[in-house]
Amino acid sequence: MNSSSQSLELLFNFLSRSYTTLETNFFKIPGSAVVARYVKSSHQNDPGRTLLEVILIIFAIRTLLQSRTRGDRSGKHFITFDEKEIDELVDEWTPEPLAQPLSPEEQADLDSVPVIVGPTGPKPKLSSGKTVINLASYNFTGLAGSEDIKAAAIETLRKYGLGSCGPPGFYGTQDVHIQLEQDIADFLGTEAAILYSQGFSTISSVIPAFCKRGDVIVADRGVNFAIQKGLQISRCTVRWYDHNDMDSLEHVLESVEKERKKRRGPLTRRFIVTEGIFDHDGVISDLPKLVELKKKYKYRLILDESVSFGSVGRTGRGLTELYNVPASEVDMLVGSVANGLSSCGGFCAGSHIVVNHQRINGTSFVFSAAMPALLTVAASEGINILRNTPSILTTLQENVRAVRAILDRVDCINIPSHPASAVIHLQIRWPTLQVPAPSTSSPSKLSRSNPASVKPRDPPQFNVELEEKLLQDVVDEALAQGVMLTRAKRLRGQELIEARPSIRLAISAALSRKDCEKAAGVIKAAFVKVIGKRR
Amino acid sequence: MSTAASYLSAVSEADARARKHGATPASTPALSMSSSVTSSSEDTVLDESNVDFTDGLSFPRVPPTSSQVFTTVHAEFGHCANEEYRYTSQHRAGVPYKSIPEQDPPYYILLTTYISYILVICLGHLRDFVGKRFRAANYRHLLPWNGYAALNSDFDSFYTRRLKLRIDDCFSHPVTGVPGRTILLLDRYSPDYNKTMIPTGTRTRALNISSYNYLGFAQGSGPCADAVEKSIERYGVAAGGTRLQGGTLDLHVQAEALVARFLGTEDALISSMGFATNSTIIPALVGKGCLVISDELNHASIRFGVRLSGANVRMFKHNDMKALEELLREVISQGQPKTHRPWKKILLIVEGLYSMEGTLANLPVIMELKKKYKFYVFVDEAHSVGALGPRGRGVTDYFGIDPRSVDILMGTFTKSFGAAGGYIAGSKTIIDRLRIKGHSGVYAESMTPPVLTQVIASMASIMGITLPAEKPSSPSLALLRSSDNTPVIPESEVIPGTAPASALPSWMPLSPSMIDGSDGRHRLRRLAFNTRYLNRGLRKLGFITYGNDDSPVVPLLLFHPGKMAVFSRMMRTRATPIVIVVVAYPATPLVTSRVRFCLSSAHTKEDIDEVLRACDEIGDLLDLKQAAGERWPVEEIIKRAVEIVRLPEMP
Repeated sequence: MNSSSQSLELLFNFLSRSYTTLETNFFKIPGSAVVARYVKSSHQNDPGRTLLEVILIIFAIRTLLQSRTRGDRSGKHFITFDEKEIDELVDEWTPEPLAQPLSPEEQADLDSVPVIVGPTGPKPKLSSGKTVINLASYNFTGLAGSEDIKAAAIETLRKYGLGSCGPPGFYGTQDVHIQLEQDIADFLGTEAAILYSQGFSTISSVIPAFCKRGDVIVADRGVNFAIQKGLQISRCTVRWYDHNDMDSLEHVLESVEKERKKRRGPLTRRFIVTEGIFDHDGVISDLPKLVELKKKYKYRLILDESVSFGSVGRTGRGLTELYNVPASEVDMLVGSVANGLSSCGGFCAGSHIVVNHQRINGTSFVFSAAMPALLTVAASEGINILRNTPSILTTLQENVRAVRAILDRVDCINIPSHPASAVIHLQIRWPTLQVPAPSTSSPSKLSRSNPASVKPRDPPQFNVELEEKLLQDVVDEALAQGVMLTRAKRLRGQELIEARPSIRLAISAALSRKDCEKAAGVIKAAFVKVIGKRR
Repeated sequence: MSTAASYLSAVSEADARARKHGATPASTPALSMSSSVTSSSEDTVLDESNVDFTDGLSFPRVPPTSSQVFTTVHAEFGHCANEEYRYTSQHRAGVPYKSIPEQDPPYYILLTTYISYILVICLGHLRDFVGKRFRAANYRHLLPWNGYAALNSDFDSFYTRRLKLRIDDCFSHPVTGVPGRTILLLDRYSPDYNKTMIPTGTRTRALNISSYNYLGFAQGSGPCADAVEKSIERYGVAAGGTRLQGGTLDLHVQAEALVARFLGTEDALISSMGFATNSTIIPALVGKGCLVISDELNHASIRFGVRLSGANVRMFKHNDMKALEELLREVISQGQPKTHRPWKKILLIVEGLYSMEGTLANLPVIMELKKKYKFYVFVDEAHSVGALGPRGRGVTDYFGIDPRSVDILMGTFTKSFGAAGGYIAGSKTIIDRLRIKGHSGVYAESMTPPVLTQVIASMASIMGITLPAEKPSSPSLALLRSSDNTPVIPESEVIPGTAPASALPSWMPLSPSMIDGSDGRHRLRRLAFNTRYLNRGLRKLGFITYGNDDSPVVPLLLFHPGKMAVFSRMMRTRATPIVIVVVAYPATPLVTSRVRFCLSSAHTKEDIDEVLRACDEIGDLLDLKQAAGERWPVEEIIKRAVEIVRLPEMP
């Protein structure tokens, strides 16, 4: 009893002593008197508040100490197992194979890809030994075989070697890159341009560089796969308008504005994303109308000219030249150096602000090695050639017209592509309309497609497998007759909207008019033979 | 094949230059470059206009004698004939893999680092505050204007405008010429604190420790460049479309077969851009219901690809195998979130060599775990292929692991092969699936012929070429392979998978050094020496470095943001200018700003000496030598370089 009270006394002594030392030390800290006075007075006024504040402090400390990784361990769905159970579960688990073997059809499809032996061009030789007319490869302006480009490339090779051996930020920017960026900007008439090392990766990097969560993008329902991936990465709100339908676009723009007013949200970045010539069907966008609408509703325009740059316009400057719209009206003009200038890479042209922003925020610009110098010079040389020889584009247009003149009149072929497009898509036209005629001619204003969904209101019906098989037969038949074609290959199952199967022709200025007519004749015969048989 | 006359003239010219430059070699290096033959005397035709002869950048410090004639230009590929300066990059069997233990700096360094960030951030906000009021025009593009939201708000761009801009002279420096052993900088200055950069029109040749040129294949001359020239003459520069839509050339087929043979896998596919290889292929491997386990320091392209795939992602601490196993046990036992259904598949993605850390993936342990936990392994060898392993086959070769036991080997051609683009290698089933399901096959342009040729030529010269039966006995070749002076090649480096000549394009010119693989071997062994020498030399000097001794990427820790700029500027303005890469947040954690050295076979031992001397001086000035442990003076390190490199383990 006595001993316990003694020890208690010791404890109290210790406590009071440590309290006094704490107190004196606390008051030695400058400004501590103010804190003490504050705590005292607040406690006096409202003792409950002290409790609340203590709880708050504890909570703050706990939050700070908590691990920042998002572990599911604490979640309500977490099940605790002991080690033996985990071992059993691990033993039990059998994963799916990493990749399914190809089905015979897929294998046949892969095997049917022609292999060109030697250089590509208007008339390449295939691995079968046959020389064919090439309507499959992108070589609109015939730059692929240019001797000037070859000479320039070899000269550059000797000066620069091949690879650039570094990302642009770390000694990978060579003078030739700066030159090509300047050349592209001058050619199009924009302030600046930035070079990416792959055409496909350009737009899927440009979109997320500007559009963040919460921003609004209004996009065409028919945009290509690269844009779809860019939209997916950017995580912003996407609204869709009907493919190349400016009425629908205006309607969507209005509805977005209404929505914003209703929610009284802050002003966010807003973009219209579409293509110049659509990769899926060769339709050409109505650029003047687009520019008018984007100005009216204060949107920025991201235009993908991967197909149109280097294939339309008087000297191949693309859609802006075709419609005589200054390229500076397009905020981000994305194009492909690979398709348009027969080299590799892609670019985004725009104002200095737009371009410089991408030099730090364009993922595939920052994290990828710069383009090989000789390919850069080849592209610069390509621009030179296009500038100085407008006849190339005239020839290209003549060739396009020659092919269209023959194919437009075949009744089992449906061509959705614009008459000026050097990419021509050929779809099967069935004699009896299996599809209820799409009511595009008289759009009922009452039932529009839902802008929030990528699916249009009445999607066209078609049998993908059957049509692809028939088109492949056409391709094979044409190849047997000496014309190389390709089906427009799609990533079925990964695309937002399944495009109608088609054969994609890429017309080249390097072909003679006679060859074009001959090739068109072969295609016509092949279609009649394959499709006509089924009628 | 060059004529005897041109050979002789090259030899006599080289000798003449040796006499002209005076400095007779103190000791004649032992080796005769038995297999190299000049095709021209390009050694002597380098632009001599503004070359400073004393810095040793444009000409060898030790001029070659008539017994050693080099096929390459010294400014692109340094000449190093001393057979002592060679090593083999290989993991010692039976020893568990570990990287250099990461040392923490003293607390005052960390504290001052934080303080300097806080200072710069406060100053930046102050400048913004004042600037927005008094110079509104400069801020217009950062604020909503005329009904448009700002393209890039002042908040989002704060870091770039107020921190990075201060040291922007260390980034995006324009260069010209071959990014080889040396590089030509296009000088520039800024009148307005880095807002605009104005070229002065002059050029500076600098020692290049910054480019990804591990095997020194960035060359404008030599056998690879000759092959590329032939291919441009033949093919032009365009491939014309996507792989599946009229853009497949015979070269693609040949290159893919060669890549598969090089790596020892069943099949391989090639994509025209390294970044896109990851970002377009990963979505074809995994999808909803699958789990990707990713190292926290994986490259942006992997994250991009994983995000596109829609698979679940879990990260584990960098290279921490315990954390990985714990995570595996958790995710397999828990299954998919909420539903608890078993995962369809689990894909582990790691990098062979981490380009910011210099660490290697701990592949031996991962392969052990794979047996137990049945996940699939994807190794991104962007930096390690070519740069690691006795045969240059990358991280599997380094650890002696069967490449076929790894499900997917991905790599790029930019770094070691002096080309561009990337590859994916694995079993035929997987690769065929990826050909049709990957985004690049259908939509991305195919690789261009010059790049393909560079890939084929550089790879073949690492592999060596098997000629059809009668050729090797031809007298001319036997003569070239003078047997007396050939260096002894360890068993592990004798390459089983040589490239048969039939697998190469028939028009491709083959040089003798490519055929016997001596060129490739020479490069691999020199890189391994340089790598170990710099890694260990820096640590002996007392610097804190990260990574593995055999990693050609050597990060040296600076900590302070301000020191990055000073370090970079001081290196660049030395008597022998050196360019290096400095990296900081967001590429690294906030406090561990660092310098990154990228070594190459093209560097000579003298180059590394120069780098060490420079680091020694600057390190003293900037108080960078913070590591614990024994320190040596720089001259002693240089003298005992071979000894340092050959130590099996350096404490």
